[in-house]
Amino acid sequence: MQLAWIKVFVGAFFEILWVVGLKHASTFPEWIATSLAIIISFYLLIMASKILPVGTAYAVFVGIGAAGTVVIEILFFGVPFQWEKLVFIILLLIGIIGLKLVSERLERSEV
Amino acid sequence: MYWTALIFAGIFEMVGVLSINHLHKHRNFTSFILLGGSFILSFTLLSFSMEELAMSIAYPVWTGIGTVGVTIMGILLFNEPASRLRILFIFCIIAATVGLKFIS
Repeated sequence: MQLAWIKVFVGAFFEILWVVGLKHASTFPEWIATSLAIIISFYLLIMASKILPVGTAYAVFVGIGAAGTVVIEILFFGVPFQWEKLVFIILLLIGIIGLKLVSERLERSEV
Repeated sequence: MYWTALIFAGIFEMVGVLSINHLHKHRNFTSFILLGGSFILSFTLLSFSMEELAMSIAYPVWTGIGTVGVTIMGILLFNEPASRLRILFIFCIIAATVGLKFIS
């Protein structure tokens, strides 16, 4: 169970890596690394979803991915912090996580 | 142009996720092509959109569109319930996306 959560967190870390790569990669090795990060992050999420409830794993995964992306952008790429942007991103995440958890609850009640 | 690419990236993401399900039922070459093709298209369009858009906008919106798409398809194709809560969350995602487009 613990290992599954570690996979979620590490997977989310690689998710942040490929998002950065997708925007900032320019050299061929950078693109290879980005592709690898995509594969690794999805593989870890899929593995974790075999043990943890899919919706929960995905929700945490996306939440960390989005939060990490915002932080990295501000810290390393000089993007200014904007309150309005943060509010909308949080609203977006509430919607995504909400939908995932509702779907999960539905699946469980059908079992 | 970049927002259009982002929206289509989300749509292809939805197609990709649905094709995983499809692959389970029809294990043939066409299903694999559909799966691979839609994800490749999704990531390519996402990458293109990020030439202009910030990561913190493109990534959550892409995820959001994919999630909304899969949910709506679930309701339309797989008889899943269109509960008020789901409609509310879908609305959150759409409102947030419109908001982000508006401020960027």
